[in-house]
Amino acid sequence: MVSRRGFLQGGAIGVAGSAIGATSGSLVANALNNTAAETATAKRQLPFYGKHQMGIETPIQAVTNLVAFDLKPETDRSSMLRWMTLLTDDIARLSRGEPVLADPAPELAIGPAGFSAYVGLGKSMFIKLGMESDIPAGFIDLPAFKMDQLEEKFSGGDVVIHVAADDPIALSHATRSLVRDSIPFASVRWTQSGFAHTPGVVKSGVTHRNLMGQIDGTANPQLNSDDFASVVWMDQGPEWAVGGTQMVFRRIAMQLDTWDQLGTKSKEEVIGRKLASGAPLTGTLETDAPDFAARLPNGLSVIPDFAHIRRAAPEAFKERIFRRPFSYEAGISESGSVDVGLLWCSYQANIEEQFLPIQRRLEEFDLLNKWTVPVGSATFFIPKGPEPDSVIAQALFS
Amino acid sequence: MKKIAVLLASVLLLAGCAPAGQVEISDAWVKSGEMSVEGGMTAVYGTITNNTDKEVTFVGGETAIAGLVEVHEMAMIDGEMKMQRIEGGLVIPAGESAVLEPGGNHLMLMQLTGDLMAGDMISVKFDFEGADSITLDSVMAKPAEGGDESYHETEMDMSN
Repeated sequence: MVSRRGFLQGGAIGVAGSAIGATSGSLVANALNNTAAETATAKRQLPFYGKHQMGIETPIQAVTNLVAFDLKPETDRSSMLRWMTLLTDDIARLSRGEPVLADPAPELAIGPAGFSAYVGLGKSMFIKLGMESDIPAGFIDLPAFKMDQLEEKFSGGDVVIHVAADDPIALSHATRSLVRDSIPFASVRWTQSGFAHTPGVVKSGVTHRNLMGQIDGTANPQLNSDDFASVVWMDQGPEWAVGGTQMVFRRIAMQLDTWDQLGTKSKEEVIGRKLASGAPLTGTLETDAPDFAARLPNGLSVIPDFAHIRRAAPEAFKERIFRRPFSYEAGISESGSVDVGLLWCSYQANIEEQFLPIQRRLEEFDLLNKWTVPVGSATFFIPKGPEPDSVIAQALFS
Repeated sequence: MKKIAVLLASVLLLAGCAPAGQVEISDAWVKSGEMSVEGGMTAVYGTITNNTDKEVTFVGGETAIAGLVEVHEMAMIDGEMKMQRIEGGLVIPAGESAVLEPGGNHLMLMQLTGDLMAGDMISVKFDFEGADSITLDSVMAKPAEGGDESYHETEMDMSN
């Protein structure tokens, strides 16, 4: 006969037991989820061969390295082709998650992990190689802007390799592989590292929340749309350039100490968007189009005249660009100031016609300039993507 | 016709596969560096897989850029790791692979007829006993150092 007390005790044990069961069950479930998440992240493979180089028309990865090079004096057009031959083979293998040929650490090839890399060519490269006549239309070095405080160590470069992945180890291994095969031809001018969100933290896409708190990359042309193609990819010019794009790189330092003194409302007015949602001050969703004509009862614009999104908005249809900015963090000073900002990358078919007018307007009057300082700058031409059995920029260097 | 065959060969090489029942060579590369200059030497690496049902022996090869080609191994000689020719070649049992890598077995190219530069593509013929020769038309020259530190000191052994 079971006493009430014993029954209660048994019940209690039973309850405790099932609680433990539930706990270990969820541990198991978590472990399974983790395995699944790791596998999905490690396996994410982006296509390498195609009309365009990889790593541009694709959701932003977690971590990135940009490495800029200066050509060695002896590097000529035929050495460029050999360099591109090596890089093409390396990137093809890394995109499949495989070690490169002659990899001294093949065990680090843990999977594609969203790897991408593309190669860009600076105007200085065309000049050094005596190939000025090959410089595509609209591909210019940027003029000096009055808000610029550019540093040589973050600026310029004959060639850039932009590597990105969803895993820091995969990124490091891939970067090392690509740099190793570059050193016979060039020396490293600068390297800059950045990050966005870890996969799964926010919805996959090209926007990320920058370190000022804003959602960055809104109002971009949609990936894989005809609109994207017309904004980003060159559709005329020499054969090697069609399918390519022109990249603007800006290292933009954020003055967070003073920015953080602003209240949410002021921050939102500087940008013209709500911090939490990224919606324009005239809307409710990030994707809502800003209504620049809307006025407050007192007659002032809802989106102030000095607001970043008003200044950056295209005034002509062709004045549009595709932004794909990463964040950076490069240390904390003794007094606690963080050195953070953006590795701001934009892509457009013509820098002069698409990017420059926007940048001129920002230079003229953009309150955000008070808290953002361009400290690095470079432009690169990204040749079209390689087909199997061909090499990046093959036609240019052959 | 010949062009098509060459193209096909390079496609197979890129795909890293060969029909079963044959000898296959994957991930072949040749080292470029300080030594890979006219009159100098270098080595070819890669993985040779014997997909046949009988033993094959990797006995040597040929390439336009080298006057002398030999299959070498790294061996402990008088307490030091040195390169030496493998007498009779490298035996690869049925169904097994032989990895040619820095610091291990390799196809040694000597008496180079010109400079081999990073990113160059060379054609290399691999000779076997027990299987047909295989010619790879696009073996990439990779900049690489390390793995065979005694490279420089073994020149004497090579004159044997």
